[in-house]
Amino acid sequence: MSSKKARKLPYQRRKALYGYGFISLWLVGTVIFFLIPLIQSLRYSFCEVKVNPGSLETEFAGLKKYIYALNEDQYYTEYLSSTLLETLWKTPLILIFSLFIAVILNQKFRGRTFARAVFFLPVIIATGPVFKIISGDMSKTGNTGAQRFSTMFSTDLIGELMEFLGIYGLSDKMNTMISAVADNIFGIVWSSGIQIILFLAALQNIPSSAREAAEVEGATAWEYFWKITFPYVTPFILANFIYTVIDSFTSPMNQVMNRILELKSQWDFGEASAMAWIYFAIVLAAIGIVTFIVNKFVYYEVD
Amino acid sequence: MADTPQAAVKTADEIGTLSRKERKKLHMQKMTKEELAYLRRKSVTDKVWPFFRAFILIGLGFVIMYPLIYMVSCAFRERGDMSDPTVMWIPRHLTLDIIRETVQAMDFWNTLKTTLVLNIGCSVVQVFSCALTGYGFARFSFRGKKLLFVIVIMMILVPTQVISLPLYSQFRYFGIKGLFSINLIDSKLTMYLPAITGNGIRSGLMILIFRQFFRGMPKELEDAAYIDGCGPFMTFIRVMIPNAASSFLTVFLFSVVWYWNDYYVSTTFFTNTRTVALMLTNLDSELKLRLFNNISANINPREAIVWKEAGCLICIAPLLLMYVLLQKHFTEGIERSGIVG
Repeated sequence: MSSKKARKLPYQRRKALYGYGFISLWLVGTVIFFLIPLIQSLRYSFCEVKVNPGSLETEFAGLKKYIYALNEDQYYTEYLSSTLLETLWKTPLILIFSLFIAVILNQKFRGRTFARAVFFLPVIIATGPVFKIISGDMSKTGNTGAQRFSTMFSTDLIGELMEFLGIYGLSDKMNTMISAVADNIFGIVWSSGIQIILFLAALQNIPSSAREAAEVEGATAWEYFWKITFPYVTPFILANFIYTVIDSFTSPMNQVMNRILELKSQWDFGEASAMAWIYFAIVLAAIGIVTFIVNKFVYYEVD
Repeated sequence: MADTPQAAVKTADEIGTLSRKERKKLHMQKMTKEELAYLRRKSVTDKVWPFFRAFILIGLGFVIMYPLIYMVSCAFRERGDMSDPTVMWIPRHLTLDIIRETVQAMDFWNTLKTTLVLNIGCSVVQVFSCALTGYGFARFSFRGKKLLFVIVIMMILVPTQVISLPLYSQFRYFGIKGLFSINLIDSKLTMYLPAITGNGIRSGLMILIFRQFFRGMPKELEDAAYIDGCGPFMTFIRVMIPNAASSFLTVFLFSVVWYWNDYYVSTTFFTNTRTVALMLTNLDSELKLRLFNNISANINPREAIVWKEAGCLICIAPLLLMYVLLQKHFTEGIERSGIVG
């Protein structure tokens, strides 16, 4: 018995060592390229940072930078609240929309492959500078014509679609309402690529026997959705939620991030870091709360 | 309900003689009210829904395709057509000049070569290092694993903007403090080093995908290899990688796309190296410099759109080509790659 144990223990320890071996490359990189910079940036946010040729000088300044960001910076709080508000209402819309589209794309109809290809297209474009131009963030180049172009593009979208279809002469009020919706539809459609793919993957995990059973029992599409589809996709709602929120960080339309970058280019590193950390902390807290709540209600079939 | 047996008798006798329609009618008579309502509703939805669906898909598809259609429409017209109010979609003067000029201004072929080498190089090493890490997390238990995995999650959550600045000084004075330091800014190592060590663009997500994928693979595969005397590392190379080929391809494709699209990290670390994304971001000044030999040249902003859209078009053309050819791996790969569950 004891000899068996003696043999078993080194084996386990050996396996653990191999585990470290597998992750060691990543661990080294993470310390250098992630953890140290992360701690540095946290330190900057509490410091007065002076840029000298050759080095950065830091001097502890307490909460001054945070107070500056929240009280004195003329744009930050405004941008912060509007960005957070936008994330707040856009995220659920993106989730609902992508689930809806995934359900549709999961049905059998002619041209489905093409439809899928079109709806996944944002996945390859929406993270790049092309999207920046498409969505009309041209402030950097200060190009007024480009701005005009982008307004034309976003507001006249539905108008043009209507003209395209041969519908003219809607009332002005109707037009403004439609264009407001259209403006957001564009943002929502273009930021749902990955979410649609993930939901679709979840939908394809539903066994066909469930569908057959529901049909034999005479379930309506509505009942089918809530009793069968929805429970199957709930685990993905959380993943998609987190993905959507993180994606909003890198969106070229994110005003808070743009403000931070602006300060950075003015060499105000302390202020920029403080702002980034406030924003990040709020979002992280929100993700934490949602994850906690969702995990209480979601049933995971597979761990 | 009382006359059902009678009807049953009748059908048993005459069922062969009745036409299909009459038989159906008889069948309908026997149904309850709820069943009838269900059938009626079903037939209505079955007829209406395809139209509704087509309407939604075409409408939203238009929203997605609009910028692309506009791009194509702009890139092949003369700049004068932009100010011509009669030109909406179809250019009056079809021309390839704009494309040619944009290619020239962006130094496109050289830029493309640099970008492709950088992208594919980084992606290959990053996919490999992330797979190693993911495998380590999936199959081995060691002390501190939970804490280390929390760091992986943090890598996903922390926006690059937060760490880009200290990272810059890290690369500017790369080395051991007091011993030596090299300036890595503008060197391609600023891309390769993080990629090799599994810290490149969105590597947290990739590690997570690989971990989930390897956890879903049957343990018997490795056990068999171990019994045959294969060490863990060789098992990973010889057994796991071949079995995970399709998921490797998917992650690799996404990695190429993310590197291709990245302009944030590259603007931070590169001042001279040219990637497609950077050139597109700076297209305005490049245009003025190379086409008009004058940095302060005044181009009618409305006409400048022509070049901008042409730039966008040639910038995403390689991605689009890859997407069209490998669409299956983009979309179905994710389902198999095990991010599910």
